[in-house]
Amino acid sequence: MPAAADRDTASLADLPSLAAVLRHRAAEQPNDRAYLALSDRGREDAAVTFAELDRRAFALARRLSVCARPGERALLLFPMGIDCLVAFFGCLYAGIIAVPMMVPRRQSARDASSSILADCTPRLALTTAELAEGARGDLLGRFREGGLELLAVDAPGGEMPVGPDLPEPRRDDFAFLQYTSGSTSAPKGVMVNHGNLLANLEMIRVACGNTRASTYVSWVPLYHDMGLILNALQALYLGALCVLLPPMAFLRRPYLWLRAISDYRAEVAGGPNFGFDLCVERHRPEQLDGLDLSCWKLAFVGAEPVRAATIERFAATFRPYNFDPQAMWPGYGMAEATLLISGGRRRAGAVVRDFSRAGLLTNEALPPRDPADAQAIVGCGRALVGEEVAIVDPETGVRLGHGRVGEIWVAGANIAQGYWQNPSATEATFGAQIAGEADRCWLRTGDLGFLDATGELFITGRIKDVIIIRGANHYPQDIEDTVQSSDAVLRRHAGAAFAVADGDQSERLVIVQEVERTERNRIAPAEVVGRIREAVVIEHDIVPHEIALLRPGSLPKTTSGKIQRGLARQLWLDGSLERL
Amino acid sequence: MASANVTESDIQEWCIAYLTRTADNPGIAIGPEARFTELGLDSATSAYFIVELEEWLGTELAPELVFEYPTIAELARHVASGQGGAADAGGG
Repeated sequence: MPAAADRDTASLADLPSLAAVLRHRAAEQPNDRAYLALSDRGREDAAVTFAELDRRAFALARRLSVCARPGERALLLFPMGIDCLVAFFGCLYAGIIAVPMMVPRRQSARDASSSILADCTPRLALTTAELAEGARGDLLGRFREGGLELLAVDAPGGEMPVGPDLPEPRRDDFAFLQYTSGSTSAPKGVMVNHGNLLANLEMIRVACGNTRASTYVSWVPLYHDMGLILNALQALYLGALCVLLPPMAFLRRPYLWLRAISDYRAEVAGGPNFGFDLCVERHRPEQLDGLDLSCWKLAFVGAEPVRAATIERFAATFRPYNFDPQAMWPGYGMAEATLLISGGRRRAGAVVRDFSRAGLLTNEALPPRDPADAQAIVGCGRALVGEEVAIVDPETGVRLGHGRVGEIWVAGANIAQGYWQNPSATEATFGAQIAGEADRCWLRTGDLGFLDATGELFITGRIKDVIIIRGANHYPQDIEDTVQSSDAVLRRHAGAAFAVADGDQSERLVIVQEVERTERNRIAPAEVVGRIREAVVIEHDIVPHEIALLRPGSLPKTTSGKIQRGLARQLWLDGSLERL
Repeated sequence: MASANVTESDIQEWCIAYLTRTADNPGIAIGPEARFTELGLDSATSAYFIVELEEWLGTELAPELVFEYPTIAELARHVASGQGGAADAGGG
């Protein structure tokens, strides 16, 4: 690792903002490509150098400063590509808080966009001319209805407006809001400031051993924290090239990602666990002629639980193409920690260990008694430099020693500032204190796990109700609401949606739902199930693995009448819930 | 790979067979009038479905087809009429 590049990058952590980092890159390496966008077929489509990105972001910032004041919010609605990053940096330069969002799906009526709009009250929505003009259906109509101004960043800007001078962002200014937490009814926008972002980018750099030569190839959407921070922003922080492949192109043809890694001699590429499975499932040697993955030094896996079988199958399948299993790099993180909480050592490979199933049921990490008792868990690495990870009893707040399972708590400069205009949720999640340690606040992750004696973190489950499918968060209450709205025979507030994961299988969605007493004998269950399935597919873009209609009164409730989801799930797994 | 003279009915049959094989627990009969959303095709699974259909037919198809032609019958009719090509068909 060249020492000069190391010094150069390390000093960037002390800059006041990510905006200053881009200006530094534009000055230091103006003609190096920052981002290269590939088409749906994996061909080079567009590219931007650091100098060009700086120039375009600055021009956009001048336009934005006429329409919005620093601290106001702008939604970012973009397909994968360079325009999204121009918009993001344009917001940073103007001091406007960016809110990256998925472009609404065609048919979905009740996705999160409306509630996010109501929560962060943006002044603007930034998008492309194609989306704004409704070339492919008016996907953005719902934003216009609210009176929100849509601004196409790729439309000719005309005269550069003479607006107010642009502010110089500071470390404690908010850079963006991440709305990956929280349900549609209760969205939670994680507030990330420049200090958080720079701290986490530096932590990631050190943990990954990245340099300016660490070319990235990424298919993970830019509205997803992993896609934005671990890929696009980390590459810019390093001064490395980031190649962007549209997510749908990857889903359709995973080999395009592998070919791009090989063609561009990328060092870093990764994504959620399911992406690696997809590469294996759709592997066809004739599509990978001449593929050489020996350049790939860091294959990060995260955003959802990492499965040992996935890693083993991927390494075995691609070894003939010179993939090095030591490149596998499981990690763990969440938006509330900006992104990354833990990660492995570069080129050390995945840590996979067997633990006793029986022991884990009593919240202890013990060696298996016999092969039947063994459960393989993939380690997620160690706490990053400058961060502390603690395992805490979620009921008592008492710190637990290594080998004990508890809730994962995190402290560090990467912990975000809280949830946008939501003091109670902020206090509950970000203001936790360990018993007997009153001097600091911790982030409660809602995930369960343990640390071994070396400090390796293992995730075993979660307390929070979120369901994670293909690396994205889904909230049970949203799904339950969709289910109950799909047919009048279904009882309101008498259903549960939860995830079931069996060993090496990824999480699958199970829906159990009570039927109205008066309808029990009159309905055609298969039709109702079909309606439920269709509603969930349309509104949430996920497929329920199982849908079970239940007799009224089957689901456990608290004394105040709320469905006990965790217990319902346990009853389901035990086979105690009776279908109609 | 399909032979040169693929009919609308051939395409329907292929779709029904594929979806029967791959559907995760649909619980309903898969016939030509079945809607893709009803069969549980989300954007990811419909992406794989279209890619497989493309490969069988030997011709490019736009992934949005499942939205624009939301039943097996409609999709088969559209594709059989030879208009299923993707917008950037020239680019390959």
